[in-house]
Amino acid sequence: MASTRSRNGWIIWLTFAIGLLLSISPMPQFMEILRPLWLALLLAFWALYMPHKVGMVTAFCLGLAEDVLYGTLLGQNALTLTLITFLVLSLQQRLRVFPMWQQCLVLLVIFGLAQLAQLWLSALTGNRQPTLALVLPGVISALLWPWVSYGLRGLCRRFKIN
Amino acid sequence: MGVRFLVLVVLSVALMVVDARFTLLKPVRSQMSLVLMQSYWITDLPQRLWQGVASQFGSRTELVAENEKLKTENLLLQGRMQKLAALTEQNVRLRELLNSSALVNEKVEVAELIGMDPNPFTHRIIINKGERDGVVLGQPVLDARGLMGQVVELMPYTSRVLLLTDTTHSIPVQVNRNGLRAIASGTGNPESLELRHVADTADIKVGDLLVSSGLGQRFPAGYPVATVKEVIHDSGQPFAIVRAVPTAALNRSRYLLLVFSDSRTPEERANDAAKAQQAEQNGEPPPIIPATVPKPAPVAIPAAVTPVPAPAVADPKTVKKSAPVATPAAKPPAAVPATTRERQ
Repeated sequence: MASTRSRNGWIIWLTFAIGLLLSISPMPQFMEILRPLWLALLLAFWALYMPHKVGMVTAFCLGLAEDVLYGTLLGQNALTLTLITFLVLSLQQRLRVFPMWQQCLVLLVIFGLAQLAQLWLSALTGNRQPTLALVLPGVISALLWPWVSYGLRGLCRRFKIN
Repeated sequence: MGVRFLVLVVLSVALMVVDARFTLLKPVRSQMSLVLMQSYWITDLPQRLWQGVASQFGSRTELVAENEKLKTENLLLQGRMQKLAALTEQNVRLRELLNSSALVNEKVEVAELIGMDPNPFTHRIIINKGERDGVVLGQPVLDARGLMGQVVELMPYTSRVLLLTDTTHSIPVQVNRNGLRAIASGTGNPESLELRHVADTADIKVGDLLVSSGLGQRFPAGYPVATVKEVIHDSGQPFAIVRAVPTAALNRSRYLLLVFSDSRTPEERANDAAKAQQAEQNGEPPPIIPATVPKPAPVAIPAAVTPVPAPAVADPKTVKKSAPVATPAAKPPAAVPATTRERQ
């Protein structure tokens, strides 16, 4: 058991590393506003299906990494990612039996809440986003959820992560 | 689970407060960035590879055409340079006449853009020069056409640059044509700056070049910042609405220039410049000039402070000419009819 855990742990971390890269990858100006919350999506998936491996501490550390990359206050993204993971973990029993579209809706609400927290925090630091466009990443992420979910579940089966 | 969540939330709030208020976490952040900033380099890799491949397989005709274009550009720039030497010399001489501080030559160093900030609501870029390369906080950044912004965050080998068009950024500028001062604030649009609090009657026109005025003590004076795009006089508004387009290609430039200006005060600069000039003019004995430098001050001070005694001293000389003193007063009336007569 211990050997399988150590063998498969790196795949989870690899997905997180790719998520970090995706969250800073250059995009055309008009698409920048639609950038999905890659780390939030990955954390939601792993917290949903591997709650014994990925928890709030992981989310906190990833959030700190994202803060350093984005140049925001240390702890800002950590707080929102921890919030997302907490909500997913507390709804985990129900979310797992929901059909896909219902999962999408619940995640939309969760991501929306996280973006709202993000807005408040950035307003505190003085650069408030001028429009309501901040919910767009949440919507895009919720729309991407089925594909991310199927893809990562395929990855789980392929590498027998448990 | 709830307890753990609470602990993490409190921890992140504490981190945020400490990071915003104190410099305690700066070393932690720079250590983390040492590893994490590599990911910007990785995401930039496809672009780099593409450029490498393109330059490998660039056709001969393209290269020849580019070479020719660069040659003509070089010729034009060198033509301008010829005049520049004379103009610089003239400027230095005129400044000496005005007793103002000498021109400073800023050093520049080339940096390369390695990433854009992923947040669409801020205008920040990441460059490949950092603390170890001598970059300092607040350092101005240029591109080939004008000012771009300033360094706001230092990391060991990279740094973050806030662009002029960010909503939190303002720069003191002046109109190149007449020296009118204003403050250009970012609007969040990469193609637009806004001049705040410009009087409705101010002499500012579409097409005016705005250069940095150097008043904020942050940007060196005289670099082009923007050209005025539109001036709207709305009688309902207390100030004119002035919008300008940055001259720098804020969202296109890949190679940037970091300006290293010296941190000396204007007095020190003037002294150093004077010393340097003395060193240049070695023909004259140096001790005499320090002696003459204090001299103008004593001469100037009596002239300025004692205007009243001066006539008193002059009086004895003019005592004999007391009658002529009165006549000048009488003269102008005489002169006025003379002119009026001429007019008639």
